[in-house]
Amino acid sequence: MSEHLPETNYLDPEVLQKLSDLELVAREVVEGLRVGSHRSPLRGFSTEFAHHRQYSPGDAIRDLDWRVYGRTDRYYTKLYEAETNFDCTILIDASASMNYASGKVSKLEYAKFLAASLAYVVLKQRDSVGLSVFDSEVRAYLPPRSAMGVILQIDQLLREVKSVPRTTIAKQLHDIALMMKRRSFVILISDLFSDVDDIRAGLDHLRHDGHNVVVLHTLDPYELEFPFKGTWQFDGLEGEEPLTTQPERIREDYLASFGKYMEELKAGCVASHVDYTTVDTSRPLDAVLSEFFHERQSTLNGASAARS
Amino acid sequence: MSFLNPLLLIAGLGIGLPILAHLLSRYKVKRTDWAAMQFLNRSVRVRSRQIRLRDILLLCLRCLAILLLALALAKPFMKDAESVPAGIGERRVGVVIALDASFSMEHSDGTSTRFERGIEKIDMIAEGLHPGDPVSLVLLGAEHRVVARNMAFEPARFDELLRSQQATPEPLDLDTVPLTLEALVEAMDAPQKEVYLVTDMQARDWKDRPAWLGEAFEDLGERAPTTIIPVGGGADNLAITNLELVSGVLRKDTIARYRATVRNYGTSPVANVRVKGLVNEITVDTKTIPAIAPGASKTVSLFIHFRNAGPVRISAELESDSLPVDNARRTVAVIRDEVSVLSVEGSPGGGGDFLAAALRARGSDAGQENFAVRSVSWIDLPSQDLARFDVVVLQNVPDITPEQARVFEAYVRAGNGLIWFAGDKVDAAAWNERSALDGIPLLPAAIEQPVSTSDALGVGRPLDPTMPDHSVCRPLRSLPEDLLSETRFRKVLQVKPTATSSTVLSLAGTSAPVLLEHSVGRGQVFMFTTSADSAWNNMAVTPVFPMVLQQMVTYLTAREFERPRQVGDSLSLSYVDQPDASEAVFDAPSKEIIAVPVREHRNQYVALLEHAREAGFYLARVSLQAPGVPIAVNVDPAESEVACLSAAETMRSFEETGIAVAQSEADLLDAVNESRTGRSLWLSFLLAGLGLLVIESLLANLMHKRPGVRAKQSSPTMAQTGTT
Repeated sequence: MSEHLPETNYLDPEVLQKLSDLELVAREVVEGLRVGSHRSPLRGFSTEFAHHRQYSPGDAIRDLDWRVYGRTDRYYTKLYEAETNFDCTILIDASASMNYASGKVSKLEYAKFLAASLAYVVLKQRDSVGLSVFDSEVRAYLPPRSAMGVILQIDQLLREVKSVPRTTIAKQLHDIALMMKRRSFVILISDLFSDVDDIRAGLDHLRHDGHNVVVLHTLDPYELEFPFKGTWQFDGLEGEEPLTTQPERIREDYLASFGKYMEELKAGCVASHVDYTTVDTSRPLDAVLSEFFHERQSTLNGASAARS
Repeated sequence: MSFLNPLLLIAGLGIGLPILAHLLSRYKVKRTDWAAMQFLNRSVRVRSRQIRLRDILLLCLRCLAILLLALALAKPFMKDAESVPAGIGERRVGVVIALDASFSMEHSDGTSTRFERGIEKIDMIAEGLHPGDPVSLVLLGAEHRVVARNMAFEPARFDELLRSQQATPEPLDLDTVPLTLEALVEAMDAPQKEVYLVTDMQARDWKDRPAWLGEAFEDLGERAPTTIIPVGGGADNLAITNLELVSGVLRKDTIARYRATVRNYGTSPVANVRVKGLVNEITVDTKTIPAIAPGASKTVSLFIHFRNAGPVRISAELESDSLPVDNARRTVAVIRDEVSVLSVEGSPGGGGDFLAAALRARGSDAGQENFAVRSVSWIDLPSQDLARFDVVVLQNVPDITPEQARVFEAYVRAGNGLIWFAGDKVDAAAWNERSALDGIPLLPAAIEQPVSTSDALGVGRPLDPTMPDHSVCRPLRSLPEDLLSETRFRKVLQVKPTATSSTVLSLAGTSAPVLLEHSVGRGQVFMFTTSADSAWNNMAVTPVFPMVLQQMVTYLTAREFERPRQVGDSLSLSYVDQPDASEAVFDAPSKEIIAVPVREHRNQYVALLEHAREAGFYLARVSLQAPGVPIAVNVDPAESEVACLSAAETMRSFEETGIAVAQSEADLLDAVNESRTGRSLWLSFLLAGLGLLVIESLLANLMHKRPGVRAKQSSPTMAQTGTT
């Protein structure tokens, strides 16, 4: 992968931030990543025949190839591979907390690049991409389309959104679920700073509607490691009471609390059959995407192996 | 509580540093927007407040530690620490130890000397000291020597220093002891100070000491607890207290008689005391005194034959006894080939003949004349080379020129003798003027006018038979009184003696001086207020005249007017002309070579060795290659009286003075325990301060570490990119 990329650093979020053309950003990120890969890592609903496998008890009767049975008098099951003509909806959290940046790139900015890159991947497969931006409410919803213009609209939508503090996420996910007409591949890009039960309620709704959901939990490295030194005053981006403290001294408590939240969140995702990935905004986008696709491929292979 | 270094309490201001750092850290706050506020939840906020409280606790500990360290630096101590619980503070003490090093301390009881026993007592004192305690050690003598001043006590080093000390051949100057010890106490930097005086309590020093000295010791006792540690012993001691030339002329091939005085200072008689006479360390005569009663002195005559010209070292020695240092007495005689006398006559046919006859007079069995006399008229005086003569006699000389006055002054200053006789021709005004050139009179008295001392019958006055103990008077005192009273003086000069002069002979009844003397430089001038002929007296024709005159010349040439040098005195070497070398050399009896710079002093060049530290013969040389002049240095015989105060006398003499007397080892230990009540608290404060710093450091470390254990178990970064 990397030998096709001009410079790894070029894909640093800070470098990408300087590129004004989001489509160019997406292409730069994705093209290098996709060269040599012909199979969709987003294998899901739309399927294509791959090969036969001898029937074994428990296989679905509808997958039996009756024509082969007619010719050979043996039961064979048809196996399918994902097709690229599926709907993907990218949900971007644009609440005030997403504006936090320890470096030059905020979580929202990173989410934008991530969404554009994913959209590019999907569109390149000639599939449809939809988009939704929400904070305390759903600010925009674009139904899935298969035109590159979507990428430009991501930028435009995010620019129009005024970040508003958000206390819950379930309501917004409910609303979005209602807006989606077809079963879709939903990618949620958010810092998910909310109550875990609330998050689970929203994700469960999406899952209940038959959507395949992937959560890209976007976090700043400072939120992950809390490396502050000296005396700091923390001003909450969502209207919380400020706190003045020596972060070094409470780091362990913070990390403990944060760790507990992460554990609960991951456990919730597992319970809701939602794929979960933590995204560190200090990492290069291609690395994050590569890792994401790799993990996804492994998951799908594992699932198909389990089926066969 | 008091402080040894109160100024260092300023270090306590350092307490402000952690407070300042704390305040600065509180006001130097950086701000940031923060999204993940939900994790800075209530428990974190509570913990933050706890941390602030712990910080204040640590700050308090830090401040307290600094305060304690500052207090430790200021060296706190409690003078009376009876109420302080045992274990807090140390019994640190500064000790001034004075060891009597006068030569009486060399007195031995057969097994050890008083000085050695004194060192043993000091060893006991040292056992009670801690390493680092300040110690001053002073050796007491005529001049006290501080051998350790505020030395940090170190047992091995102190022991080595102590063992290297020796008694000096000096007497003890007790009068200056209290002030010396007070100065050492004042200069000592210690929470509590103690003074120990180790002495033999020699009766001559301590008995009947003046009231002011007793008060001085009381003052010392008030400044610091003082303990006197007697190391006395027996009183038995024989010493030679004097060695003097009694008769004879210091001329080559003559025999002189020296008299040695031996004193028995003990309380029991001593028999068969052998006294040896030595010339240049070779025994030439030995005498035995059959017995010397306790407290009595006996003299023996030692006959010394002078075979060669030049300086001769003469000594009298006793056989060894319990105090060897005073068993020898020394003197130096400068032997001449002949003793030359220049007789200068003011009038032809005057006293010159009488004088020459008097000096040439000798016993019938004597061979060569004792003195070579040259008589000249005063007119011929300028042509004479005075350096060729040992003594010049001026008789009835009317006047001298200022140049001659200067020549005479230089001549006498160089160590020669001048004898001046009055007469009718003497111009009083001229002599008074010339005699007092540069304000230093040549003659011992200013001349006024001649006065008649005849009675109505025309018979003059005799000499006063009450004569001082002067070498010149010695032969006259042995004369029968009727023979002495035959000498009559009809006329004498009325004189006004100078402040430095003394009268040797005077007239009976009037006290008018007949013979005066004084020193000029290293020489001596005699002045007769009467004539050398029979014009004013009949002395010139009586046996008194040759006796007195010959004794005077011997006295002048033997330099008997010079005070015998004792240990502690200065020794000098005089030069007539400016020397080539800038330094003179004194060889001490121990063969130590001491270089002394030559300085100009009153138109003379003098090399002065300020203190002769040893008893024996020093050799003064103008340079290392020069032959040198021996100088005899003796011990002070007063110190030979080694009897000590008894234990009861010692106790009685310090009653109600606040000064303890430690007669025994137990007394000494008691004195130490009673006086050492103070406690030094600096170590306690230092340890407390350091302990607090350690506790503060451990607490700080503990407070930082404790949550870390939890965090390691649940760090979110461990599962940063995990996909579920």
